[in-house]
Amino acid sequence: MDFVLQNHSSYPRVGDKPGQQRLRRALAARERGEIDTAEFAAIERAAVDEIVHEQEHAGLDIITDGQIRWYDPISHVMGALDGVRINGLLRYFDTNFYFRQPVVQAAVQHRGPIACEDFRLASLAARLPVKPVLPGPYTLARLSVIESSAYTSVAALAHALSASLAAEVGALAHAGARIIQVEEPAILAHPEDSDLLRRLLEPLWLARGTAQLVVATYFGDAEPLYAQLNSLPADILALDLTYSPRLVETIAAAGASKILALGIVDGRNTRLEHADAIAEQVTTLLRRYTLDTVHLLPSCGLEHLPRDRARAKLDVLGKVRRLLTTPQ
Amino acid sequence: MNRAVLEGLGIELPLLPTTTVGSLPKPPDLVEARARFARGGMSQRELDEVAEEAVVFWLQRQEELGLDILVDGEMYRGDMVAYFADQLEGMELGGLVRAYGNRYYHKPVICAPVRWEQPMTVGWWRFAQGHTTKPVKAIITGPYTMMDWSFDEYYPDRRRACLALAHEMRKEVEALAAAGAKIVQVDEPALSVRPEELPVAIEAMHVVTDGLPIYSITHACYGAFEQIYPGMLDLPTHNLDLAISQSAIDWIGILRRAPFTKDLSVGVLDVHSHAVESAQAVCNRIERALELVSSTALWVTPDCGLKTRTLEEAIEKLGNMVAATQQVRAMVASGQ
Repeated sequence: MDFVLQNHSSYPRVGDKPGQQRLRRALAARERGEIDTAEFAAIERAAVDEIVHEQEHAGLDIITDGQIRWYDPISHVMGALDGVRINGLLRYFDTNFYFRQPVVQAAVQHRGPIACEDFRLASLAARLPVKPVLPGPYTLARLSVIESSAYTSVAALAHALSASLAAEVGALAHAGARIIQVEEPAILAHPEDSDLLRRLLEPLWLARGTAQLVVATYFGDAEPLYAQLNSLPADILALDLTYSPRLVETIAAAGASKILALGIVDGRNTRLEHADAIAEQVTTLLRRYTLDTVHLLPSCGLEHLPRDRARAKLDVLGKVRRLLTTPQ
Repeated sequence: MNRAVLEGLGIELPLLPTTTVGSLPKPPDLVEARARFARGGMSQRELDEVAEEAVVFWLQRQEELGLDILVDGEMYRGDMVAYFADQLEGMELGGLVRAYGNRYYHKPVICAPVRWEQPMTVGWWRFAQGHTTKPVKAIITGPYTMMDWSFDEYYPDRRRACLALAHEMRKEVEALAAAGAKIVQVDEPALSVRPEELPVAIEAMHVVTDGLPIYSITHACYGAFEQIYPGMLDLPTHNLDLAISQSAIDWIGILRRAPFTKDLSVGVLDVHSHAVESAQAVCNRIERALELVSSTALWVTPDCGLKTRTLEEAIEKLGNMVAATQQVRAMVASGQ
């Protein structure tokens, strides 16, 4: 069995050490008009490099740009589309992180690459593959307000967003991304829409070219939807194992028809997992798993943790892999 | 609706009472003092003196503006959870975590059994009330939000962490009531984060407020109210303060699903916008709220704490809020 370690998506952009505060200070200085665009871009670029190197030093195989240039995952993508304005703050699922809510006022349209520059900057600094991460069409539609008569339902908006995101996946694949993650946490609260989700992801799947498409769910119990998630058009299915112990039991009993990416460390709590307990859980879970590769990653983006704990969580992944690959 | 409770406590308020949610912008000298204190260049007593001056400054501004229920502006607090976590035994401040945009806070960690040791806000409430004849609202952070916004490295599950916090935060409310506070606001912005846990939040609120001689307000903001309404009406509180002015959600439609059985503090100012709402825009928001509750049950507030605005913005926004409220009061009085 080949165990691949990857980061999930976001990563804390600042830390508690003085040297890890530069981006925060630069953002504040930019808001006050104290630094120009070029100076800010250089600081932002240095922050991307720092995040990339931190993940590489943690021993991962696949890293992300940490989404550190994004205000939040929802408004960043929706705000880049035609037909959308960005409204006030709203809580991001059950976290204490807030995103700006998109309001769809006209037909949405992809007007150009959204995440390609983030991918390019991270790739320039990285020696490992960089995984771009995008919110999925279903989740974006669920978190938006529809004011336009162009869309009479969440599903109608989601289909339009699916076309826009397919264009983005295509652009990322063209830019050289070998693995692209699409996140659909909202589906866990709406299992009745799993067929809709499958249809929404088809265009992204077709647009991925030679890249692998990861579909990720988190912030909820995926166990009731596990069978349907296995039928999604995706190369890799990323699952949050920290939310419900039943999911581990279900996978252990049913196996998997796709490569799994197992969210084995809790991206939302600082309590550090015991690697031996996690390794034992993974061994149990893989009892009926017949594929030769499995990915290990945090349960969700690590931005919900302090920087030092985020790094420590990545270290746990490495310890788990060592335990799983060491002959007993 | 709960006017009898207020009157029983000896508090008389006009129609459509105006208040703020709690935090107000810190004056520049206090911002500077807090930075100096953080660098070790100032004692706690020296910092407190600067904070006291800021509390007096804001009490005077609130009186000039004509607000009915005043607050101390939380001049001595930073983050709403960290302030209490820093003083409760069993909790410590963790590393920086982003809340939104470029805003970060030290997210607390529960690392041992939580225990209230001494009053955390009573001295400040007493100081503020001593400088005005208008009622000063006491404000604490609720147990559900304290739990949800902290990392938990001690309790086995969220409910047990929440209830442990509730028992300790009740001691703070008891101390406030004993000191004479009659209006106590329990902030629960995390109220709607996990709709399935609403019963836990309600159970915890019972622990915090049951049987105490207070008029209680629960403030919630930026949540998915559509998922917890009307269940949230089971909260044992007299007044629900909801941040809804800038929400694109049809909250009138949501709140019409069931009769609103509490007093409603309606948020009418977007606290995250530099733009100052016109009095007419605020009037419209108040009038919309009057479609839901009677004028005797409606309070008028900003959406949330105003601490992220400048002094000038906050004062101008509140001025328009009071002016708009006065217009609506006149309309109600004339039967329009």
